[in-house]
Amino acid sequence: MTEDLQYVGGSYPVHDVAQKVTGELVYGSDFSLPGMLHAKLILSTVPHGMVKRIDASRAEALPGVVKVFSHENSPMDRFCRARIHPGQDLAEHDETLFSERVRFVGDRVAAVVATSRAAAEAAAALVEVEYEELPALLTVDEALASTDVLVHSTGNVAYESEIDKGERPDLGGAVIVSSSTSTPRVHHAALEPHVCIAQGHSTGGMTVWTTSQGVYAARTVIAELLDMEYHRVRVIKVPMGGSFGGKTEYIIEPVCAFLAHATRRPVKLLLDREECMIATMVRPATWTTIRTACTPEGVLLDFEAATTLDSGAYASSTPDYSIHMCKKVTKLYRVPHYQHQSRAVLTNTPVGGACRGWGAPEMAAATEIHMDRVAAALRLDPVELRLKNMVEPFDTDLVTGLPLGDARVRECLERGAVAFDWAARRARPAGRGRLRRGVGVAAGAHKNGMFGAFPEASNMSLKMNEDGTFELNASLHEVGCGIVTTMKVIVAEVLGVHPDRIAAGEADTATTPFDYGTYGSRVTYVVGECARVTAEKVKARLLEAAAELLKEPVVHLFTRDGAVHVKNDAERAVAYRDIARLSEMRHVPSIAASTTYYAVSNPASYSVQFAEVEVDCATGLVAVNDFLAVADVGRAINRGMVEAQYQGAVQMGIGYALYEHLDVDEQGRSGIDGFKNYHIVNAPDMPDIQVLLVEHEGDDGPFGAKSVGEIATVPTAGAVVNAVNNALGTELSDLPLVPERIIAALHAPEEVPACSSC
Amino acid sequence: MGVTDVVTPVRLEDLVAALAAATPQTRLLAGGTDLVRSIRTPGSEPDTIIDLTGLAEFAYVRLDGGTLRVGATTTFTALQWDPLVREHALCLGLAAAQVGSVQIRNAGTIGGNIANASPCADGATALTALGAEVTTIDGAGTARTRPLGEILLGPSRTSLAHDEAITEFSFPALGPEHRSAFAKIGSRTAVSVARLSAALVVRFDAAAGTLDDVRVSLGAVGGAAFRASRLEESLTRLPADEATAQLFAEGCVAAVQESIPGRYSLPYKQHAAVGLAYDAWNMLALSPPCEPAWA
Amino acid sequence: MQLLLTVNGMQYEVEARPTARLLDVLRDQLGLIGTKEGCGEGECGACTVLVDGRAVNSCVMLAVQARGKDVLTVEGLAQDGELDVLQQKFVEYGAVQCGYCTPGMLMSAKALLMANPVPSEQDIRIALAGNLCRCTGYSAIVAAVKAASGHDATPAMVLPGEAEELAAEVSTDPETLAIVQEVVEAAEAELIQGTPPAPEAFPSPGAPAMPPGAPTAPADPEEGE
Repeated sequence: MTEDLQYVGGSYPVHDVAQKVTGELVYGSDFSLPGMLHAKLILSTVPHGMVKRIDASRAEALPGVVKVFSHENSPMDRFCRARIHPGQDLAEHDETLFSERVRFVGDRVAAVVATSRAAAEAAAALVEVEYEELPALLTVDEALASTDVLVHSTGNVAYESEIDKGERPDLGGAVIVSSSTSTPRVHHAALEPHVCIAQGHSTGGMTVWTTSQGVYAARTVIAELLDMEYHRVRVIKVPMGGSFGGKTEYIIEPVCAFLAHATRRPVKLLLDREECMIATMVRPATWTTIRTACTPEGVLLDFEAATTLDSGAYASSTPDYSIHMCKKVTKLYRVPHYQHQSRAVLTNTPVGGACRGWGAPEMAAATEIHMDRVAAALRLDPVELRLKNMVEPFDTDLVTGLPLGDARVRECLERGAVAFDWAARRARPAGRGRLRRGVGVAAGAHKNGMFGAFPEASNMSLKMNEDGTFELNASLHEVGCGIVTTMKVIVAEVLGVHPDRIAAGEADTATTPFDYGTYGSRVTYVVGECARVTAEKVKARLLEAAAELLKEPVVHLFTRDGAVHVKNDAERAVAYRDIARLSEMRHVPSIAASTTYYAVSNPASYSVQFAEVEVDCATGLVAVNDFLAVADVGRAINRGMVEAQYQGAVQMGIGYALYEHLDVDEQGRSGIDGFKNYHIVNAPDMPDIQVLLVEHEGDDGPFGAKSVGEIATVPTAGAVVNAVNNALGTELSDLPLVPERIIAALHAPEEVPACSSC
Repeated sequence: MGVTDVVTPVRLEDLVAALAAATPQTRLLAGGTDLVRSIRTPGSEPDTIIDLTGLAEFAYVRLDGGTLRVGATTTFTALQWDPLVREHALCLGLAAAQVGSVQIRNAGTIGGNIANASPCADGATALTALGAEVTTIDGAGTARTRPLGEILLGPSRTSLAHDEAITEFSFPALGPEHRSAFAKIGSRTAVSVARLSAALVVRFDAAAGTLDDVRVSLGAVGGAAFRASRLEESLTRLPADEATAQLFAEGCVAAVQESIPGRYSLPYKQHAAVGLAYDAWNMLALSPPCEPAWA
Repeated sequence: MQLLLTVNGMQYEVEARPTARLLDVLRDQLGLIGTKEGCGEGECGACTVLVDGRAVNSCVMLAVQARGKDVLTVEGLAQDGELDVLQQKFVEYGAVQCGYCTPGMLMSAKALLMANPVPSEQDIRIALAGNLCRCTGYSAIVAAVKAASGHDATPAMVLPGEAEELAAEVSTDPETLAIVQEVVEAAEAELIQGTPPAPEAFPSPGAPAMPPGAPTAPADPEEGE
């Protein structure tokens, strides 16, 4: 069947590429409305305290300043930034628009609304805030030890869970290996800052334009907080400059909506870079210890892990995040017994929450660094050890009980090892000079949507226009990875019409049907399958109409190149535009269909990645010289974009392994306030990432396709760290491997330092 | 919130007039790559900005007898590619090439780099090794020339008066027997603030095979770039060989240790100094490329 | 203050605060929103424009610094509706994902190619070092710049130009078209009389519509499913 695919598997640019290269695309940050006001946040400068006094008089006296809002004159109802639907469990309503009790440096204290951004900024500097400081809990250890100081009254442990599955076999003679790995708090660093625009209407309703990954959830949070009926709140997704999970949760949308509601004016809230870094959300820092038992031959018998995660000042999605860290290993390795305790701990630090991979990159780093320790203990090659333990296609996930589907992770590892020339490279000595080379491998697993945890479904409709072109009506949230194009290609393949003949827009709660949005690795697998099913229905209608016209049974017909053809008769065909004319004349029913598609499975997506690094033992700087990412994608819908997604994900993973961290000092302040000191990998330091796709179609996604965007970054850091350890003969496991840590490991392993910025 | 005025002198007389009107709240804009951000912080708006980028006559590199003269508004891009700099002050060209990104080098000027007085300023490290003097002009139209070390007092601190602008850097041009190098450790290959930088100038006596006129300057350790005089003396008259490279590296380590005793960053920087020293040494191309002894 | 600026070959007279950044004037006063602000401190390069042919960060440059100079923004790259070769290659090579860094990348690449028409890969990577991208890993961007400078490479993406070709739609065969035409005409006639035709009222295609020798059943009923 695959060779018959006409459009699936080709390479297409993102749908709005022409507008992006010409600079004409209006992103959220470019968006403006007549009479629009500008808001500027005032953020807490102390990590924990009570706002004793706010004096906005000087600010409000400035020309152009409309009003200053704070806890004193705003609703104090609480909301959950991570709530994605009304009936959600695990949605801690712990946050208010503006805090009276501030819980981290960056907590929202107030907002100035003014007629210009400059006036809002100037006024914000004049708002005087006096704090009564409370003792701050800046580390999870302090938070866990504290009984009197609490970040929230419910206690400093936001969530605790334990998973214990399978039976522990007899461990007599087993080889026990222990490790502990820490991963840093990092920022998503999407290039476009967070932005939202809201307009209150005199009807009592409002419209919100946001660069969000889910408009329906944004509506839920806004409507519930402002006590409005859902139909009065219209949330529209606008073009965004990247997200990576950082725009999944609803942080500035409720604030902006409130300001618009209160002023009855359009209000734009655009954060600056420092505000994005400290006041939105971060990937939570984690600490994971692992203890495994395996046979002397290297077969895993037991896997026990414990994870502590730094939630930051509000629980956000970190309870769920911590649970998910327990659901990664058994997607990847067969193990008779798996036990994992995890806890999410509140601290007076920036808020942790959703970030690309949702716990998987964190857990993969810990697991894969550990597996290399096991391999070293058993004197096994890391590839060989992994092959002894990896899951097979159609295994069942021990922890979730869900089938893993056509899990091709072994094939990824085997083919990757050949393509990377692993054995030869691994055998080559690291060298004893200043520059030392090493290679590392790591594997990772991730999911495909939320089936098994949520009522995972998508809705959409597709209709043929009067000229034979098509329109897909779906709540798509393009984040830059080409999902609009993906949907077009899927529909195009089914209908036998070029993707350019299909229009697909983005989400708008007023006009597009319900969908959760772009996260959870659900778009290609669930939303894409919904598109395929919808297109199949439309195709059936086209075939029925054509059958009547051509006087041929439907089974004699097929679609291609914008027409219905008669099999084995190249001469006979009817073009879609002519069917459209008949439809217009009501001679055939309208060519349109709607679908609610319920996901039926949640298989695992896999990636195995190979890194070669060169470590400068004098400076501690690491160069990633070569990198191969092997991807179990099921089927590449848009081949070029799958490869490009992988290349970008690896870039993010290299940053996670080597550079990025957002620590706070003893005053709870982040020394990091922008790209000057938060280094994302730039072009000279990136190797050309090779991507190898493993394709098959044993799962329920469209044409066999599985998720890409998140899994792509899951194993990267582990591969890089393992390569560094291979080069140096070290056991580094505290990420990121900044030069200080590498130098310390080489010279004074007993005092490996924390990160510093300069 | 006062309104900031911007004046853009295009001739020396205009500059003097502008400086004469300057107050302690006046700021000089020499490229803007640091200043533009800092003046946007509400509450720190200057009363006047004197935009020096209009002073085309101060963008030059000239050989004046044995002296190389670099105008203060010369951009890093200009320095990076300037043939006179390559020939007579290579370490300055190498330093310029490692400042920020292309965009920063196109706008940023050597005068701004010095006046901004960042301890990490790459230009300062190179000019220190070159023994640069700084010529300034003030609001009274008085020109003064003093050693760079007298200008740079510490992080963001200079001896420049509020009505004083740098107009030129001058230093003895390096001759054909001289070699010079600049090395830097950042946190990335390109576009990174120096965590440690070094400039090295030597005269190589080909007949004797030895070094003299050795000048070593270190940056991003302590408040401002400084000359490691003891190290310079200890290398004088030594052969340009691997053993000297090792002495040089050890000397750099000692200089770093003395400069920032007990500082949090010392454990790293004292080790990294070895790599930095070998990078600089190897750039001189006086001996076959060599590595730290432990390597 | 009054400023005279030349942007993309057009002269503009704008009234701006003396401390207005070039970025602010371009975006807020001239409506040239293609130039983006990603960091406001000259680190990410999203605001890159060319001033007298050199790439600068317009977020750390005052508008007054651009007086009397030629400013080129991403909006000025395409000429007469024709994309610049760099823009074209960015499309073809899949160098664009979220696209927020794209205008700055294009401008840095443009400055590079103006100064160095056949850069090496290392030249390209250094020229783009001040332009951060979080989506692509730079591979496709570097490939696109290489291609724009005449290096041979295979384009990754389906080109908009090719789209037409691929979308070459099959037309309805003449006999069937005649039927469609008849139906439409009949329907129009009836619509005028106010009675819509029933969907089943197709005229018989008649014998000639079935070409001689046509098989009565397909050889492979599954084909094309």
